[in-house]
Amino acid sequence: MHPQGVAAFPHYYVGIDSLAELATTEDRVCVLNITGGESRSVTPVSHTFSGGNVVCGTAPGRSGTSMKTATGEIPVYDNVAEAIEAGHRFDVAVVYLPPAGVRDGVLEVVRVNPDLKKIVILTEKVPVRDARVIRAIGQMRGIDIFGANCLGIADAHNRVRIGGALGGSSPEESLVPGSVAIFSNSGNFTTTIAVYLLTAGWGTTVSLSSGKDVYIHYSAPEWAHAFHHDDRSRAAVMYIEPGGYYEHDLQFDKPVVACVVGRWKSKLTRACGHAGAIAGSGDNAAAKEEWFMQKFGVDEVFTPENPVCSDKGAVVTNISHIPIAMTAVMAKRGLRPDFEPRGDLSLKCWFSNPQGLKLPDELHLPLVEAVAPYHEQIAGLGEQVGVVFPRQVMKDASGASLMDPKSQVTRIHGTSVLDASTHTFEENLVQSLIREYPDLNGAPLANVALNAFVNQSGNIGLAAVEAARQAGSSPNTALSAAIAIIGPNEVEASRRAVVVLMELFKKSGLKDPSDTAFDFTAQLEAAGSGDAAGVLLSELACTRGSRMLDAIDARGARSVFIEFIKALARQEGRALRGQVVLAAITSHLGWPALMRKRISAFTLRNLPWHFRIFSALVGSAAESERQSAGDFCGVSEQQLMEQWSFTETAHLALLGGRPDKEALSAFSVLLGLIISNGPGTISAQGVKGAVSADGPEVPERVQVNKGYLGFLTHTGFAHGGNGFEAISFLLERFHGSGLNNPGSREHGLDLKQMATDYAGEYLAYKKRAKAEGNISYAKIPCINHPVFKGEPVNYDPREVFVNELFSKRGSYNVFLDFYHELVQALYRAGVSRNVYCVNVDAVIAVILLKMLWKPYMAGEISERVMESAAFTTFLFGRMIGSAAEIDDHTNRGRNMDTRTPASKCSYVG
Amino acid sequence: MQITGMYWGAKLLRVVEFPTAEVLGPEASADQIKGLIERHGEVFIKPMFKGGVGKKGKAGLLGRAGDVGTAMKEKARLYFAEHFHNNTFSKAEGVTFEGAVPAEHEVYFSITDSTEYRAPIITITHHGGMDVEELPAEKIARIPFDPLTGLKGFVISNALKRLKAPRELISPLVQYLPKLWDLYHQYGMTTLELNPIRLSPGSNGRLLPVACDFKCALDEDDPNWKRLDLPADLDASSYSDFEQEVNQLRTYQGQSDVYVINEQGTITAMTFGGGANALVTELLGDAATISSDFGGNPPYAKMHDISRIVYKYWLEQSNVLFIIGGKANNTDIYETFRAMADALRDHFNTYGSQPLYVVVGRGGPNLIRGMGYLRDTLDALGLPYQMFGHDSAMSEVVNFAQAADRWMAGGGREQLVQRLGLA
Repeated sequence: MHPQGVAAFPHYYVGIDSLAELATTEDRVCVLNITGGESRSVTPVSHTFSGGNVVCGTAPGRSGTSMKTATGEIPVYDNVAEAIEAGHRFDVAVVYLPPAGVRDGVLEVVRVNPDLKKIVILTEKVPVRDARVIRAIGQMRGIDIFGANCLGIADAHNRVRIGGALGGSSPEESLVPGSVAIFSNSGNFTTTIAVYLLTAGWGTTVSLSSGKDVYIHYSAPEWAHAFHHDDRSRAAVMYIEPGGYYEHDLQFDKPVVACVVGRWKSKLTRACGHAGAIAGSGDNAAAKEEWFMQKFGVDEVFTPENPVCSDKGAVVTNISHIPIAMTAVMAKRGLRPDFEPRGDLSLKCWFSNPQGLKLPDELHLPLVEAVAPYHEQIAGLGEQVGVVFPRQVMKDASGASLMDPKSQVTRIHGTSVLDASTHTFEENLVQSLIREYPDLNGAPLANVALNAFVNQSGNIGLAAVEAARQAGSSPNTALSAAIAIIGPNEVEASRRAVVVLMELFKKSGLKDPSDTAFDFTAQLEAAGSGDAAGVLLSELACTRGSRMLDAIDARGARSVFIEFIKALARQEGRALRGQVVLAAITSHLGWPALMRKRISAFTLRNLPWHFRIFSALVGSAAESERQSAGDFCGVSEQQLMEQWSFTETAHLALLGGRPDKEALSAFSVLLGLIISNGPGTISAQGVKGAVSADGPEVPERVQVNKGYLGFLTHTGFAHGGNGFEAISFLLERFHGSGLNNPGSREHGLDLKQMATDYAGEYLAYKKRAKAEGNISYAKIPCINHPVFKGEPVNYDPREVFVNELFSKRGSYNVFLDFYHELVQALYRAGVSRNVYCVNVDAVIAVILLKMLWKPYMAGEISERVMESAAFTTFLFGRMIGSAAEIDDHTNRGRNMDTRTPASKCSYVG
Repeated sequence: MQITGMYWGAKLLRVVEFPTAEVLGPEASADQIKGLIERHGEVFIKPMFKGGVGKKGKAGLLGRAGDVGTAMKEKARLYFAEHFHNNTFSKAEGVTFEGAVPAEHEVYFSITDSTEYRAPIITITHHGGMDVEELPAEKIARIPFDPLTGLKGFVISNALKRLKAPRELISPLVQYLPKLWDLYHQYGMTTLELNPIRLSPGSNGRLLPVACDFKCALDEDDPNWKRLDLPADLDASSYSDFEQEVNQLRTYQGQSDVYVINEQGTITAMTFGGGANALVTELLGDAATISSDFGGNPPYAKMHDISRIVYKYWLEQSNVLFIIGGKANNTDIYETFRAMADALRDHFNTYGSQPLYVVVGRGGPNLIRGMGYLRDTLDALGLPYQMFGHDSAMSEVVNFAQAADRWMAGGGREQLVQRLGLA
């Protein structure tokens, strides 16, 4: 049983008698799940376009908050009952709930609001089961329901849009008042048809996106009735897809252009796109074309070449034929379009690049100026330097790193850490910020820049680090002292120089800064006559600056920016400071990515700051007694700049000495593997919190060095320092074994026996511990993994990758070999039910131990030094990932976006 | 997902205690088949198809045996039977052995949702066992009912009376058929069809309805049928690897519907919106590799994942990457274009450069920023492109993409290979 609505529908309830009632200025709206992803962007636009028709919204757990819009704030409640209790009255509910919540949401709003007249359901993928119940409830209570999976209703005359986003973010562009009503199974085409109609001079009355689920709650029969009763609507467009008999019995007194598409869909065996657009033999596209042709008294489909129509209507199968079909049908009734045509539908190419290919005429289209307001935006694109990322809440999110939960492999700017581990330290540092690896010219420049500032001798920061070490602080804590000192003032000269270079060259057409044939005469002239020279040049000679330039020459590196500042210095007869040379180098590194809009201008500006911190962190890791003026760990600064890679310098600082080829590659792998474990890892969380707290919406305020402090304070004995556990474990196993060279296969040890012995020992220990009720007995570090388990033989794919990499390079590591023997032995001894995997963490430990084995055995370094070295190695590697997160969060984040709402926190006292 | 046949049908019907013919699967031993024949006199042997397959009987895909030897022969004949119906080719994987059910009456019964009544509807006739479409209208009853009260006995009773069905059928059907509503409604079905239900006399002479064939469609959007614990690969044969991989991304936020049109296609269209999907796929025809709908404002991560999968499967063979949609209402063009562009760059980084012509037609929020980002990426990759706004007719943009495809096929691809230095 249902209440009686419009008399024309005796068998079911319909409340709407005219399209004029679909979306009125009197309608008052409550939006369910108003803060959901889609509603958040759509509702404020609808609200403002409609003169403020949304009285309230719901979002569980957000009561007391509000949604800001240009026409005021919309209050948010936990549920509808609460909103009504607060005094809100509304007759329309707009549903943005997720599919599983739609039915219950509808039942609830119907139950608590006796004034309800309409419900608009935007949600896609509502189960059919729930749709049939929703339909029945609407019928029982006398409520018109629209959707689901629709984009709502828009009345161009009333300037009201209810539910959904018809007309997009600028509704007035598409929803121009006129005389044509639109009924469309497609939400997108509802707007697109309105735009197309403008090109023939037709505006709209009411646009309805019906949705195309199996249940279309407000569909063609009741819409057709309302169309006939709306005096403003002289004609209509219906966009119809296959499936369902909704249109079968329609009768029209006013002209209609029906666009029926989807003949190809008869080939499908299941729905693709709209859930309800799957047809049997009687309701496929061909059948529907026939229905409409009979209604219109035509025997063919209308095309521009064969414009078959009657004064009742026309059938088209291509939406771009709708405007001329409409004009043709209306002309038969002597009716003219609403206004002069606006634009046309011809091909208008807005962006084109044939890349120098010889294209035929049909593909060789001239660029056409886009319609307003797009032409201004396109012009603006030319002005914009670098990318501008949209700001969003970046809590637990990253645009820099992503860990695949299945493989546990993290990608940094699209490169997996496994691939990153085949690159050098300096290459990864650069890639973390500019999102691509430096070329053969960029890497030596980076090495000059990073090595130029590595010596911390005489810096108060180094003294502070030393004092912190002496006080017993862990490596991360001690290094923080040096980083805290590299505040914005320390790098201001470099950052200003970058800005000046960017201003001078941004419209120069320079794409490849290695192209030293580039003519910078104009820039030289501009710099000489403006303020640029004041920023880039200094009166006093700078030793570091000239040494850096010498080193660049010595390495044979080429750069337009370096040539430019040198030419400017010559021209003006002044000197170049090290900070400016650094700025020229980082500008060189970031320029191609900036021009291709992969990085922001702000990132380019901050590059020298990051570089200074990289240098300081590595430099401060070496004890102060190993550093003096001009000399770092026994190597002269000039030599470092001219001949050493930064990877080698890091090795020097940490482990002493220049590594041979094998050690260098192992060290690079080590650092590469540690780069990142995604935004959820504690160190990344520390970075993100530090950036978030400074307020990235004003990026100038974000202190880059504080971001690194966030990273450093969010590492510790459990995160980063735990790498030593495996080293310690291996030291116990190999102590007294007589092992001389862990890199030699001829080590003379019976690893299988050692593993078997230990497995037996461990089994006994485990049994004893269990018998004593000690369930937190010591676990063997770096084997078994929560993800890579359960198979008869398990592998950590990351460990496999590195193992294969070393095999290919002919490199051997006895400790890793032992680990593989150990997991087999544990299985044989019955400690494990299957063969555990060896974790990637073990790889990190064995590489480090191999490097340190000889000095350790010679008594040159203590276990404590070894522990410190393991921890600091982790810090070096993780610095790469942290740099990426600092820059990413600064570019994309919102102020204080990492905080957790009180509703999500718990009290456990 | 669709299920046909009694192997799974019997299991599902048992959930609501609806009587079924006794069924053995392909793994049945000779002894088990012998026992089945002894109990029922004879057995029917039917091929097992995955997904929805109709009109098997007409195609001769039905065996009948009164002894084990014949049953085994029929098994061999039908085990890998092939069937073509409604443009769809199917190949059987196994057979069922179904005990014969003696009966004088055969009933057709189905529940589905009617777009005419916008309500669930039963279709019933006691002239079952044949194609219901072939019966005159007066011999079939189609009765809508209220889903809030469900399918009640009186609905069945009234329908059968209207059909003037024999009196002895009415009571057993009134007793048993309402159980099917539970199966249909509570377990996320959109169609349930039993044809025939054979009315078999019980020991007391009362007729018992026994389901002898089964067909159902399950609603992909309804998690309720997951409670039936059906094996994941039951309908897997109807999905390609590509479709399955994309389907894993199926969430309510943003569409990710794909359908493989032609595995040899040369235009890969990333289509946004159900309407664009219909129009574009129709115009592209067999030139298209896939039909897709990625509208509904997918977030960056999802769009990146979708693009990554699409590129992995289809880019190598494609001449044209075609990004096409109308004037988006809500889909953020910058976010979606950025995701597609980044995924393309990543794809090239992983698999190397490849010759590709890019054609774009789109409108919507943040359009120019999105196009600008894609432009910069394509310039960096060295790919030729043209981009059109929403004021270019979508069908004209499709024509342009086809022209680009023709040019690539007619020598342009080689030219581009040279240009990219891939030769």
